[in-house]
Amino acid sequence: MSVSVQIPYALRHECAGKSEVEVNAGSVQDALTDLKNHQPKLYRSVCDETGAVRKHINLYINETIIHRVDGLQKKLEPGDLLFIMTAVSGG
Amino acid sequence: MADRVVLCIGTKKGLFVAEASKSRGRFSLRGPFGSGVAVYSALIDTRKSPRIFASSCNAWFGMKVLTSSDLGKKFKETKSAPAFPETDGRVLANIWSLEPGTDNQEIWAGVEPASLFRSEDGGNSWEMIAGISNHKHSKDWQPGAGGLCLHTIVRDGERIHLGISTGGHYLSEDGGQTFNAANDGVGAGFDPNPYPEFGQCVHKIARHPDAPGRLYMQNHGGWPERPGIGVLRSDDYGHTWQSIADGLPSDFGFPIVVHPHDPNTIYVVPLEPMTRTCPEGKPAVWRSTSGGKKWKKLSKGLPKHDGYFTVLRDAMTTDTLADPAIYFGTTTGQVWMGHDSGDEWNCLFDSLPPINCVKVAVV
Repeated sequence: MSVSVQIPYALRHECAGKSEVEVNAGSVQDALTDLKNHQPKLYRSVCDETGAVRKHINLYINETIIHRVDGLQKKLEPGDLLFIMTAVSGG
Repeated sequence: MADRVVLCIGTKKGLFVAEASKSRGRFSLRGPFGSGVAVYSALIDTRKSPRIFASSCNAWFGMKVLTSSDLGKKFKETKSAPAFPETDGRVLANIWSLEPGTDNQEIWAGVEPASLFRSEDGGNSWEMIAGISNHKHSKDWQPGAGGLCLHTIVRDGERIHLGISTGGHYLSEDGGQTFNAANDGVGAGFDPNPYPEFGQCVHKIARHPDAPGRLYMQNHGGWPERPGIGVLRSDDYGHTWQSIADGLPSDFGFPIVVHPHDPNTIYVVPLEPMTRTCPEGKPAVWRSTSGGKKWKKLSKGLPKHDGYFTVLRDAMTTDTLADPAIYFGTTTGQVWMGHDSGDEWNCLFDSLPPINCVKVAVV
């Protein structure tokens, strides 16, 4: 199943400037695996070498943060949007 | 023919490259590269055609190694950066040191949390060196204020010296297969045991290639009850260490640098231990031409007052010209150059971001 991953501005340079990429995934974990295989630079910015989502990044399915549902095991449905959200700060 | 002096300046906001003729009259500046991301380590590799390597470590989005083959006009990422094996459990937090290896494609990297990596293909792939990264002591090392970092790699054939904060000095005599703590005489002011086997907060180690048995160390000093443990010398390849701090205004500091043409001439920047800034706001580099037996204050041209900056562990270096200059960068964004081996100083740049490292090469 093809799912759209929405890329934040801060990470678009890791995927040739794209604001969204399509992945073939039935779950959030599948989506990350697809990114690892097809967008390795973007994946490296989202997940560390243990496979954990970096602490300054949150993932949303549509408008719901995933740790409030089933985390990486949450199933994706046709038409879902998977948002990569980065923390923001200055200084 | 080598006719250019190139400076790499790693800052909180990226890497800058400065370039001048051998007269060092005026440096032009370009950058920042890796914009917005802190650079803690840089390497100007002159083993063949000059290449520049720099770490670009984003605490949010991960580690990169940048490389340039045109003296820092353009940079690109290497194919990968050091990373722990997926099953290791540790996550790379910073790259503190990049050093050339034996083969012209070999590069070593010291990282945080304290571990050592080696690349045999110019930084495109990396392997973790288990002999130190999984050392039996490693679970007992503790982070200092800068993190638990392996910040110094000094290589001499099969002999490899490592500086770890706070782990101490580790020595391999088999090319990095195995490492032993070598801290006899290296004090720890914060430890109930004043001279532990390991766990010292070593700040920097330096040596001259013509005198491999002689090493100098800037250790974490500034302890009233344990004076003199901050600046040390070894004459037996780092197996034992003796204080050479007598005569300095403070034995606290971060960098220690050896003159390129004289193993007996060294430079330190003493800092007030509580603030880690210049004592009384009067910056000075101190030079010894006797291997640390006597010290001389070098401050001509530096601010006479109100100079409360810090010079970090990799932010002082020297070029290799016949009449070498000394360079240091400050946490207030200045780059200073000391002519005539540090006798007189002038400010090259005064408004850069806070500076983590300064490297120089004549190319």
